[in-house]
Amino acid sequence: MTADRPLPAGAVPPVGAAATPADAVATPAGAAATPADAAAPALAPEPPADDLAWRRMHPVTPAVKGWKVLVAVLAVLAWNAADDVRQLAELLGGRAWLVIVGAIVLITLIGFGYSAIAWRMTRFAVTDDAVHLRSGVVFRQQRQARLDRLQAVDVVQPLLARIIGLSELRLEVAGGAGSGVSLAFLREAEAEQLRAELLARAAGLHRGGRPRPAVAGSTPAGPAAPQAGPAAPPLATTAPDAVPATGHPATPDPDAALSLPVEPDEDWAAAPVAPERPVYEVPVGRLLLSTLLSSATIWLVVMLGGVGALIVSTGRVGSAFALLPALLGVVSYSWTRFNRGANFRAAISPDGIRLRHGLTESRAQTVPPGRVQAVRVTQGLLWRKQDWWRVEVNVAGYGSTGDQAQTENVLLPVGTRDEALLALWLVLPDLGTADPRALVDAGLTGREADGGWAVAPRRSRWLDPVGWRRHGVTVTDRALVLRSGVLVRQLVVVPHERTQSLQLAQGPLQRRLGLASFQLHSTPGPVAPRVDHLDARVAAGLLDEQAARARTARAGAGPEQWMRRA
Amino acid sequence: MSSPEGAGHPQPDAAVPPVAPSADAPQPVAAPARAPHAAPAAAVDGPPGEPGTAPVRESEPFEPAGVGWTPVSPRLATARLVVALAWLGVPLVVLVVVAALTGNAWVWASAALVAALAAWVLWLVPRQVRAMGYAERADDLLLRRGIVFRSMVVVPYGRMQYVDVTAGPLARKLGIASVQLHTASPGTDASIDGLPTAEAARLRDQLASRGEARLAGL
Repeated sequence: MTADRPLPAGAVPPVGAAATPADAVATPAGAAATPADAAAPALAPEPPADDLAWRRMHPVTPAVKGWKVLVAVLAVLAWNAADDVRQLAELLGGRAWLVIVGAIVLITLIGFGYSAIAWRMTRFAVTDDAVHLRSGVVFRQQRQARLDRLQAVDVVQPLLARIIGLSELRLEVAGGAGSGVSLAFLREAEAEQLRAELLARAAGLHRGGRPRPAVAGSTPAGPAAPQAGPAAPPLATTAPDAVPATGHPATPDPDAALSLPVEPDEDWAAAPVAPERPVYEVPVGRLLLSTLLSSATIWLVVMLGGVGALIVSTGRVGSAFALLPALLGVVSYSWTRFNRGANFRAAISPDGIRLRHGLTESRAQTVPPGRVQAVRVTQGLLWRKQDWWRVEVNVAGYGSTGDQAQTENVLLPVGTRDEALLALWLVLPDLGTADPRALVDAGLTGREADGGWAVAPRRSRWLDPVGWRRHGVTVTDRALVLRSGVLVRQLVVVPHERTQSLQLAQGPLQRRLGLASFQLHSTPGPVAPRVDHLDARVAAGLLDEQAARARTARAGAGPEQWMRRA
Repeated sequence: MSSPEGAGHPQPDAAVPPVAPSADAPQPVAAPARAPHAAPAAAVDGPPGEPGTAPVRESEPFEPAGVGWTPVSPRLATARLVVALAWLGVPLVVLVVVAALTGNAWVWASAALVAALAAWVLWLVPRQVRAMGYAERADDLLLRRGIVFRSMVVVPYGRMQYVDVTAGPLARKLGIASVQLHTASPGTDASIDGLPTAEAARLRDQLASRGEARLAGL
């Protein structure tokens, strides 16, 4: 296998093979963008002996990753062969356990061995414009994530890595599923430092490698106070800007130390961690109660009722097992929701929104300013009494797989109306209206056309007898605001400059009633902005106006590198 | 306000777009929703309780004023009919043969059903194709389709991430191709089928150059 080929001393992994279609520039959008400052590195694949400072992941990485293979294999076996194990054991007689243990040991060794080789082949380098990652054992891959296209930076700590003190650094660059760059694993402090560094460079602070400290603190976004809701506490937790200067990663592997050029220390130590100001956090009690009050619980009760009825009617307990998988699904859904929302804290910093959460796997997300494409505030039926709300966002690159959507796209798992307003403020500090509170109130619970809402006309009740009273849309200077849902209330806010495309649709019944649906396309995520059954002429006018408004807003939008003012 | 983008708010003077539908739009484009009750649009609306913030467009909803639609090639109807009739023709022939051999009334009925379906497709597809159209405006591309279920999509040039041009064997034979626009949103359903090959190439280049000129971040 190619994998076993020893690395030539002092050489980075052979790039000859890697300079193929696979060395994906991770952003498809990237190729055309901002030709002046970033095109050069994107176009020219680095020669093998480049001047990039290639670094390795932490050497414990294989030990942390190797377990996954074993767990995966065991899970598959347990799932598929749970019934056959006994037969297998009988078949093999007394030596069965020996064989099984041997197989497990073998699988473990393979897992660790592969992880070790993969670790050897994986290196990354950071330049002013991009993060480069080389990986792959059999099929080599070189990936480049352009920092000016950075959508979010996450520091993720799975349980095992957390115990050891390692972190994974994830960069999202909006290239669709799997386009992000994952640096796993780094030492905790190193990951923090690297994150600060990447954000500083993505913000446009570090041009030409000249460290310019102390810029991060004096920015427009930082010191602003929330305009609504409880005043944010004074700058209580300034994140430790002096994270021990972990200039160079600990690379005990002599081979690696030999072969890798040393990153200039002062450059790394120079990026201060931007100060942050806590905005809200979610108490565990509330999260627990809100999880119990979610729709999953309704399903659980319905299902248990069904099981009970089934047992009573058939008189056989065995029939209940048919519902077991669904039951497990509901329980695991609730657990996931609780696990990921636990210890939820949100903060604002010049680098953007900071979110920290997770019970077993902890995650610290940073979403730079202007990266949130759309916001949704929802309230299930059972949350109404407490006036609780959940806030989710669309961020390009987040939630590309279904499993992550519950984790990455959540801005507020459960909060009061004030906190929901704060969450909205995090995304859009200026809603573009004189009285944001009134606007949001009308959007969350309002039914009337007061406050300038264009609502679905009364005749639309034939198409949506329950929900028609809530369908509505309004426009502010900065954003389009859509509301819907009588049972599950929903408010969607899309900044004008984040509009991708617009659609007007009309079915036969709508046409007869003179209605039409207006839809706004956003990047992939939980938020799908649309408003149904508007008066057709109003919807058409909205389409025209919104197209123009989005164009104007885009022209005036801030630069992608948010610290470089145009 | 406090966001880095806040300062870059567009100046209202420059806000009127070159292609604003001129039929109405008495309000400036960036009109805030602050004084909705003063909006004259409220008077135009029929039933009470519908003061729109957006100005009402008086023209047909799917006929924006001042937009000249370009229809797609009628050869697209040929291409679609060939495919559809190939799918329907084979069962029809089989059914007719079986019916002739067995004389079973049910089989004759099924054959008639398939024939009716084919006739319906023959009637429908050309109409569908005629309803498709696109229009290049100064800053965005409009796409329209559908007779019963109508839809119109606005794709700003600056939002396009890439453009696909595809043509299968049948389409190549007929000299047509389809152009699909992709934005960062998977929801953008913007494909124009049945463009003459030369027009497809021209549109692709046109879109690419306009997209580059107006490219914005995500």
